[in-house]
Amino acid sequence: MTYRPDAAVSTLRTPEASSWEPVAGIASILERRRSRPRGRLYAAVRWGGAAVFAGVFLLLLVTLFHQAWAALAHMGLSILWRGWNPAKAQFGAGVFIVGTLLTTVVALVIAVPVGLGTATFLAGLAPRWVAAPCTVLVEFLAAIPSIVVGLWGLIVLTPLFARHVEPFLKEVPLLGALFHGQPLGASILLASVVLAIMVLPTIVALSRVAMSGVAMADREAGLALAATRWQVARKVVIPGARRGIRAAVTLAMGRAFGEAIAVAMVIGNNTALPHSLLSPGATLGSAIVNSFSEANPGSLEKSGVVALVIVLLAISVLVNAGGQLLLRVREEGPPPRGPVDGAVEAIAGTVGPAS
Amino acid sequence: MSDLPFDVPVTAGAGAGVRVGAGTLAGLTRRDAVRAAACAHLDRRRRLGRLATVMCVGALALSLLPLVALVVYVVSRGLPALSGGFLVHTPTPEGIPGNGIGNAVVGTLIIVALAMAMAVPVGLAAALFVVERPGRLSGALRLAADVLTGTPSIAIGVFAYLTFVLAFGYSGLAGSFALAVLMLPIMLRADEEAMSTVPDELWEAGLALGSPRARVVRSVVLRSALPGIVTGNLLAMARAIGETAPLIFTIFGSQFFVFRPTAPMAALPLTIYTNATEPYADAQRTAWGTALVLMVLVVLLSVAARAVAAYLHRKAR
Repeated sequence: MTYRPDAAVSTLRTPEASSWEPVAGIASILERRRSRPRGRLYAAVRWGGAAVFAGVFLLLLVTLFHQAWAALAHMGLSILWRGWNPAKAQFGAGVFIVGTLLTTVVALVIAVPVGLGTATFLAGLAPRWVAAPCTVLVEFLAAIPSIVVGLWGLIVLTPLFARHVEPFLKEVPLLGALFHGQPLGASILLASVVLAIMVLPTIVALSRVAMSGVAMADREAGLALAATRWQVARKVVIPGARRGIRAAVTLAMGRAFGEAIAVAMVIGNNTALPHSLLSPGATLGSAIVNSFSEANPGSLEKSGVVALVIVLLAISVLVNAGGQLLLRVREEGPPPRGPVDGAVEAIAGTVGPAS
Repeated sequence: MSDLPFDVPVTAGAGAGVRVGAGTLAGLTRRDAVRAAACAHLDRRRRLGRLATVMCVGALALSLLPLVALVVYVVSRGLPALSGGFLVHTPTPEGIPGNGIGNAVVGTLIIVALAMAMAVPVGLAAALFVVERPGRLSGALRLAADVLTGTPSIAIGVFAYLTFVLAFGYSGLAGSFALAVLMLPIMLRADEEAMSTVPDELWEAGLALGSPRARVVRSVVLRSALPGIVTGNLLAMARAIGETAPLIFTIFGSQFFVFRPTAPMAALPLTIYTNATEPYADAQRTAWGTALVLMVLVVLLSVAARAVAAYLHRKAR
């Protein structure tokens, strides 16, 4: 006898079978189950986790704003362009904002072309025996703690820059104008280079993942049209991975903005407005590191430092929101992903499928 | 034509003369001309490709050179410091031999373990909330996680100081709290990503068997999302273990073995930071040695994350 769903339904529906009773029984079982303590426990766990997380987040915002309030009220909007001079009760972030933007931009100017070139090579051009070990290497380099990069920058790169790199850059025609002033080693330039080294593996690793996510069929279509491997990389792979590449660059930018310790070790910590890439400067992060422990608890200066944190937070939220917006507007579907890929991306701070 | 990913050189080099002759005698000449043009074009494309490849190799060299130099440098400067109980001794005053970072190793292990104990369950529970109850509330949580992920770690350090340290004083626990706040959003997103890759059919199959949701989640969803969850959490830990900024205002540092998390503690990143900025040769040696230890620890964790994920993945098949 073959299974006929219609027949089954119709026997169920005939009134003389009084067939709703077993269903009612199941419903009551389900009812009892739903109210069982374990179900409620599970709901409590979920709600608890969400509540703790939301609580921590709100506490963070409230605490920072509360503590920064005195300085924010004291400075008003002028916090965005005034300088930093605690002796004159001036707690502006202007110089630090300039330093932050300058170091980030220079770092990205160095890191993005190099990183994308590397990723293109690893994802499309290189033979397997080169690409595989290099990929693993880059992914491990992405895990190097920033303090180690900072240490290397401080002890190795600072003298190297002071003696060789910076005097050399001053001699370069045209570009030399960017590099006037004393070659001291610790400078905006060195901080940018350290940041570039720090974010490079991130850019390479994430954009390589995005590029290898481009469908093989698309690449093969390109090759079948007699495109060279480079043409396929340029016209198929890179456009196909645009979304991931943008995410990688946004993430790298966020890292560069927010890095504090390593930058504080190499930037020279100077609260005057930088006049060239060789002048020592300060970023928001490095200024927080240096001023926070110096300020007395409860003083206006402490509040001023927390206000710097607020400014830093605002900038990073803006940058991330901008990145997200770019991702959301331009692209349609999320790339296919496995469980581990998703986790790795989430780790790296990129955001999953646009919701 | 312009929809094609590149120009197809059909008419590229076929000149007027060829076109005139095409109708009459010389199908042959025309074919030759087209072929010659195509060859020339192919040559040009190949040359361009070779040039681009060379530039990409250059980029690879440029990006690997400083990083490999850094690793080689840390290893070569760090290895000499590692001799003679470096990992188990406590720091000695400048110039006295027998220096060590045992207290920092212990401190880092305790602080990170406590941070994991705080962050993993909360992250998992919050991720379950987001997965189970899609809606405005989950969207808000996700947004909060994104904002918190983008929050610079120094801001989290300042936050931990303003709440935990001002209330309870400097302690290892304050550092754990800061690291937990740092890891939480990462874990939330990683857990959520891992769980959202579980096919709906598995949820439905579990529920259709009449299992309560808690049971379905525990024995179906969590089990099949486990590789992603473990990898994500371990990678978050690897990131947290190397962070200095959340610790700098919270744990204060210590010269002794401290096992009580409510007291000030030492940690590896903080040891690097304080020693690196001191002008003594011994301090710098310690900084390099500690950097090597930290780097090895982080790399081991990343390897472990991948290995565990691969193992669980294979087992799940």
